[in-house]
Amino acid sequence: EDLSGFSRICSPQRGKLDKTAGTSSIEIMDVELGYSLQPVSLIALLPHAHFLLHSLSPSSCLAMCSQDIRNTVGNIPMEWYKDYPHIGYDLDGKKIFKPIRTKDELDEFLDKMENPDYWRTVHNKMTGTDLRLSDEQVDLVHRLQQGKFGDVNFNEYEPAIDFFSSEVMIHPVTNRPEDKRSFIPSLIEKEKVGKLVHAIKMGWIKPRRPKETAPKYYDLWAQEDLNTVLGRHKMHIPAPKMRLPGHEESYNPPPEYLLTEEEKLAWEQQDPEDRRVSFLPQKYSCLRAVPAFSRFIHERFERCLDLYLCPRQRKMRVNVNPEDLIPKLPKPKDLQPFPTTQSLVYRGHTSLVRSISVSPSGQWLVSGSDDCTVRFWEVSTARCLKTVEVSGAVKSVAWSPNPAVCLVAISYGETIVLLNPGLGDKFICSATDQLISSYEEPEESKEQSVQWTIAEGSDHEHGQRLILKHPKAVRQVTWHGKGDYLACVMPDDNSSLQVVIHQVSKRRTQNPFRKSKGMVQCVSFHPIRPYFFVATQRYVRVYNLIKQELTKKLMANCKWISSMAVHPGGDNVICGSYDCRLAWFDLDLSTKPYKMLRHHKKALRGVAYHKHYPLFASGSDDGSVIVCHGMVYNDLLQNPLIVPVKVLKGHTITHDLGVLDVAFHPSQPWVFSSGADGTVRLFT
Amino acid sequence: MSQLQARFFTENKKYAIDDVPFSIPAASEVADLSNVINKLLEARIADHKHVEFDFLVRGQFLRSSLASHMDTENISTEEVVEIEYVQKFTAPQPEECIMHDDWISSVEADSEWILTGSYDKTARIWSLEGKAVMTMAGHTDVVKDVAWVKRDGLSSLLLTASLDQTVLLWEWNSEQNKVKARHCCRGHAGSVDTIVVDPSRTKFCSGSWDKMLKIWSAVPTEEEDEVEEPNRPRKKQKTEQLGLTRTPLMTLSGHNEAVSAVLWTDAEELCSASWDHTIRLWDVETGEQKSMLTGSKVFNCISYSPLCRRLASGSTDRHVRLWDPRSKDGSLVLLSLTSHTGWVTAVRWSPSNQHQLVSGSFDNIVKLWDIRSCKAPLYDLAAHEDRVLCADWTDSGLILSGGADNKLYTYRYSAYVSDAGA
Repeated sequence: EDLSGFSRICSPQRGKLDKTAGTSSIEIMDVELGYSLQPVSLIALLPHAHFLLHSLSPSSCLAMCSQDIRNTVGNIPMEWYKDYPHIGYDLDGKKIFKPIRTKDELDEFLDKMENPDYWRTVHNKMTGTDLRLSDEQVDLVHRLQQGKFGDVNFNEYEPAIDFFSSEVMIHPVTNRPEDKRSFIPSLIEKEKVGKLVHAIKMGWIKPRRPKETAPKYYDLWAQEDLNTVLGRHKMHIPAPKMRLPGHEESYNPPPEYLLTEEEKLAWEQQDPEDRRVSFLPQKYSCLRAVPAFSRFIHERFERCLDLYLCPRQRKMRVNVNPEDLIPKLPKPKDLQPFPTTQSLVYRGHTSLVRSISVSPSGQWLVSGSDDCTVRFWEVSTARCLKTVEVSGAVKSVAWSPNPAVCLVAISYGETIVLLNPGLGDKFICSATDQLISSYEEPEESKEQSVQWTIAEGSDHEHGQRLILKHPKAVRQVTWHGKGDYLACVMPDDNSSLQVVIHQVSKRRTQNPFRKSKGMVQCVSFHPIRPYFFVATQRYVRVYNLIKQELTKKLMANCKWISSMAVHPGGDNVICGSYDCRLAWFDLDLSTKPYKMLRHHKKALRGVAYHKHYPLFASGSDDGSVIVCHGMVYNDLLQNPLIVPVKVLKGHTITHDLGVLDVAFHPSQPWVFSSGADGTVRLFT
Repeated sequence: MSQLQARFFTENKKYAIDDVPFSIPAASEVADLSNVINKLLEARIADHKHVEFDFLVRGQFLRSSLASHMDTENISTEEVVEIEYVQKFTAPQPEECIMHDDWISSVEADSEWILTGSYDKTARIWSLEGKAVMTMAGHTDVVKDVAWVKRDGLSSLLLTASLDQTVLLWEWNSEQNKVKARHCCRGHAGSVDTIVVDPSRTKFCSGSWDKMLKIWSAVPTEEEDEVEEPNRPRKKQKTEQLGLTRTPLMTLSGHNEAVSAVLWTDAEELCSASWDHTIRLWDVETGEQKSMLTGSKVFNCISYSPLCRRLASGSTDRHVRLWDPRSKDGSLVLLSLTSHTGWVTAVRWSPSNQHQLVSGSFDNIVKLWDIRSCKAPLYDLAAHEDRVLCADWTDSGLILSGGADNKLYTYRYSAYVSDAGA
């Protein structure tokens, strides 16, 4: 009964044991062999087995200890009973109480020091008692440790007969004739083979892929290109040659190479790395007297280290002609037409001319000045055809781009006036007046931040039609390409009401922005799409007016934007800034400037694009207008070509101000500039 | 090289000399050569008076020493040089300075009267002596161009074109000194910048900023043309308008920009210059474009000389260019006359001399050119104090120029008697 119980419990454990260290598995084998022979000794052995296998998991130890039939708790971790007074139950179901252990660490230590039998004392976890191994048991443990049989009397080398040996006997071990069935084809096999054949036929089983027989060893350089080999040879950098020994290294150097006492002292105090020579020149009377060079190995090692660590890299030196690095720009001569000379001067204003605008037909020019007048000029003759006086310095003028109406927006102070100059086609002028007078007030009029009033009396005779009173000073007005919407800028540091958009046909005013994002400098409509450009001091924000969201934010990389112009194609924007720079943005490319032009010496005041010709111009406080060729290609892969072509001078600098505004003629490659000297100039 | 072999000849029989080669110093200039010719003539003709001559070497006026001229013109000095001599042109003599109230936009003179258009919205008739005869006020805007139509005894017909998009046809009786607006030609949708009367004096053509050319009848009638202008608020004003309304006979469209100048090259052909950098020739019968000359700049003015069959154009650069309107291939520009420093706003061929023309520019100078000396003008007439806007040259040898300084200058230019018929 003991045995069977043991084997029953022990057998599932074998696997576990086998998986652990090899030595323990051998010992278990021994145990198995042992118990079949001498069960009595095994009972005694088991605690030792535990002792031996203390490195194994506790469960396996307990498996061994479950031989203790007194405790019936089974193969469980004994720490479950840690907090109980008993340690398990006996066969009758009574609690087995833990023996009283009063030993503490110190007692344990003293016991270890004093008790001569301490080394053969084993703690039995199952019973909680200490067990002192007898001499036989110790002997057994020793034997097992040495890999011997547990039984002293067992002879493992008893003589035995080899039934199965390499020798072929004339008489077989058994003389049984072959079975009949070994001659009959097996039906089961046939069925199995048939299934396999069917499966192969159906393609369910595929023949095993032939193993790719990669040669175990192969020529590493067989595939190598000869050229690369040659190239490598060509790239070979020979190790730098060592310096040949000179007089200093001589065993008998000339006296000037020998160091004096101070020099020697200095040499010794120097860091070994800083020394000019790594040795002290010494003088010997004859070669025979020269001792062995003690630093030989050291020196060789350092040499090898040098060669190993030296960066072997071929630096390709490219001989470049600096002129070749300059991008090939076409000659300005090939980029004609562009304005080259000053042709006409429009004189009449007595103060600085802040703003100019050309009529869509190109026949008229309007200019607004600080002398509180707006003048209308005939472009071709510089004739002032009309002067309109207003009650403030004119900050901005803008001719409506719609050729079907004749309207000019003028801003001065807090007012914008829509003025019909009566120039051009008479029918268009009268139709414009009709359009304005035929406006009907809507039923429910909303409270608006801007007051729309109709000009009357002498103002009406002078051409003024609508007067828009704003809460703040208006700095810029600009039309949408269709000529119905009009945006105006009222710069203010932190107010949400900086930009308003007026709709002339409905006489409505909208404030598109709820939050202030900095002081607005200028605004512009996109020529084609419903986008709106707002330039603050450092950024240009592009808003989608339909979706009412911010589309892009362009970083101008300059301190203070002064002016902005949108390319007629709509994908490019130029910004002039007070810190002498002009930034060209390609909206498809990046939010950073595609190009920064620093041609002006002073702050830029105005920039403009030509409607048809690939030209743009910038006017600056240095009194010059710079005309650049700015070709935008339809091909998205080709970046815009920007070539400065002409510096136009003419304006005299007055009060440190030069050119204040630039505008292009709508059809000819002509540029107008207005200056602080009270003139407008035409360059052709 | 100090001596050259030269043979002198002239077309003027009066100053003819022997057809023999002379050896002359290479460094000799116009004055030296002139002295030589005078010496020779004195030897031939007893009562010869000193005459200043000008010299042409292969059709080019001599303006420097003979050697340097031949060097620049690449003429061999080995052979005998043929030198033509003509009597030196006398400088135009300033005659009158007629003051206006405002800029003078246009001028046209005939043998008796001068007609000017001004920016003060009036056109005026002056006598050749500078006496104001008549003022025609009727336009509501700047008068841009004027033209004489014809004269039947004492009554004359004349035209004024204005920025107010109309052309007025006036009848002026010089004896009673009365003027009457006969017709108001409406139809243009932009300022009418140029008008020109055809050779038969029955039609005229106008060019406008609205890119159109319109041909109108210049014959005064008592009937008013029907105007198809529905829904126009002009009906009411019609009664206030001067003259009877007239509509165009024909409209020629094709220019892409404003028409700046127009002229008749002959009875059936019109020539127009435009801001779209083209000069176009039109067939008046069919109203179709016949050919086109393309320039690179805006054209301000053109003039045609039937004597040499050349067009002269002034554009918004500083050149006067000569064109052959008949040529179909090759370089269209025959010659560029470059001396002005501003836009050329007026150019007019001499009615009597096939080589000479006058040009006015925004650089305040009127220049008299001989196309045989294209490097430099014959004379600079620097009288104006502001931009020159118009110029004219009458059959009687009067050069007129008006400008933005409100002054109309007249110059008497008598080309030497001998060469006049050439």
